[in-house]
Amino acid sequence: MQYEWQFHLIYNYWPVFARGALATLEITLGATVLGLLIGLPVGVMRTARSPWLRLPFSIYVEFFRATPALVQIVWLYYCFPILFGFKLDATATVIVALGIHSGAYIAEIVRAGINAVDRGQFMAARAIGMPYIKMLRRIILPQAIEKMIPPFINEFANLMKLSTLGSMIAVYELLQESNNLIATIYRPLEVYTFLALVFFVITFPWIWLSRRLENRMRQSA
Amino acid sequence: MLSIKQLTKAYGAHTVLDEIDLEIATKDVVAVIGPSGSGKSTLLKCINFLEPYQQGEVRFEGQCVGYREAAGKRREASDRVINRQRARIGMVFQNFNLFGHMSVLDNLIEGPIQVLHEPRASAIERAERLLDKVGLLDKRDQRPSRLSGGQQQRVAIARALAMRPSLMLFDEPTSALDPELVGEVLATMRQLAEEGMTMLIVTHEMEFAREVATRVVFMEDGRIVEENAPERLFVSPENPRTRAFLARVLRHHGHHNHNGAR
Ligand SMILES: Nc1ncnc2c1ncn2[C@@H]1O[C@H](COP(=O)(O)OP(=O)(O)O)[C@@H](O)[C@H]1O
Ligand SMILES: [Mg+2]
Repeated sequence: MQYEWQFHLIYNYWPVFARGALATLEITLGATVLGLLIGLPVGVMRTARSPWLRLPFSIYVEFFRATPALVQIVWLYYCFPILFGFKLDATATVIVALGIHSGAYIAEIVRAGINAVDRGQFMAARAIGMPYIKMLRRIILPQAIEKMIPPFINEFANLMKLSTLGSMIAVYELLQESNNLIATIYRPLEVYTFLALVFFVITFPWIWLSRRLENRMRQSA
Repeated sequence: MLSIKQLTKAYGAHTVLDEIDLEIATKDVVAVIGPSGSGKSTLLKCINFLEPYQQGEVRFEGQCVGYREAAGKRREASDRVINRQRARIGMVFQNFNLFGHMSVLDNLIEGPIQVLHEPRASAIERAERLLDKVGLLDKRDQRPSRLSGGQQQRVAIARALAMRPSLMLFDEPTSALDPELVGEVLATMRQLAEEGMTMLIVTHEMEFAREVATRVVFMEDGRIVEENAPERLFVSPENPRTRAFLARVLRHHGHHNHNGAR
């Protein structure tokens, strides 16, 4: 099969990709911040001693990990307004939905990080009479954060890719911009190929960084 | 000061402590010996309520540890009360368990500042005195991981002392150490005993127990089999099981003599 690539056509449309990339970044950052705000306390609560205290947080985590992010976005966009009479704009919807979605994953990262801290650290803190929350804040979390950073960066890269789901409700992120561009210039092969490259360029450094940090930690441990 | 009566603890169906009775008076130094799995660590953990227990009671300075009586029923005490009790009891672990993200000095002032709400300046002053006493003042700004095992354990002892406890618990404080580092830790403990600290020490160092302890307790299968003065228990044990245990360990360890000299 002989296909004549014409990437130079795309060159003229670089502002379209720049605009899309900015929107993608906005969604990713917004969802990350929200995911952290949710995931940090939820992950901590998932380590609580009382099973009753843990339960609601476990339900949240399991539910949002077991349902597709796309369904969560669509539900928030179409069903939520009908039920609650209150509608967010499309970009805000994606940020909120992905924030809640990644909150569940970040909570698991936080929980795993806390559990990876040596049990002796918990015992030593309790033995000097430290209250539970203070122990987490002063002794456990500072040592857990280090272990959380690589998977957390990885989650950030995941969110970048997940932001393409915004195109389903017409958010002008990279994929949506690309679809529109194809409608104008009729070059789907060039546009989608270039899109894939753009994603690789903005996502791979994070994945690489995450792996680097993880390897370095493993060596120093 | 510490009075344990009929203390019983089980993990599920497995009884780990079976009606333990033990009285410790101020300035007593009690050594606990016994085979691995006999419940020695669990006994220490019940004393500062790192582990809950099902029956009997631990009384420390006149107060029941971990539980309160409410309408004839036993309830777990509030976290505040339990934490206040723990703060009065120092604990030293086999694996040191120093806070890895803090300097040596910060390890020592963490409890006094965060738990006892002491002013920072006085906490630092006492911490430095204690570090000097265990011979490690020059390490005050180091991370614990930079120290040898023996040094880490001496810092851990100083960290426990920084809380000004009236009772110190030691759970095999020298078992994780290379043989040549055991002596320095035992010397620190010996000094503490001579200064009149009340101590409960789980140990395999028979020579040390014999020289430093005022009483020795032999545990097996969650029970106290024999309790006696060291010269009695080590020289002419009353219980045949004590005799069998001593014959076993002295054959293995008898030739090493860590007498705690520096
Ligand atoms: N967290 C736990 N859960 C279940 N069993 C335990 C736990 N901790 C200790 N045990 C059991 O309790 C018994 C006594 O353990 P321990 O107090 O550590 O003995 P020692 O310190 O004398 O070696 C052992 O049989 C051990 O397997
Ligand atoms: Mg033990």
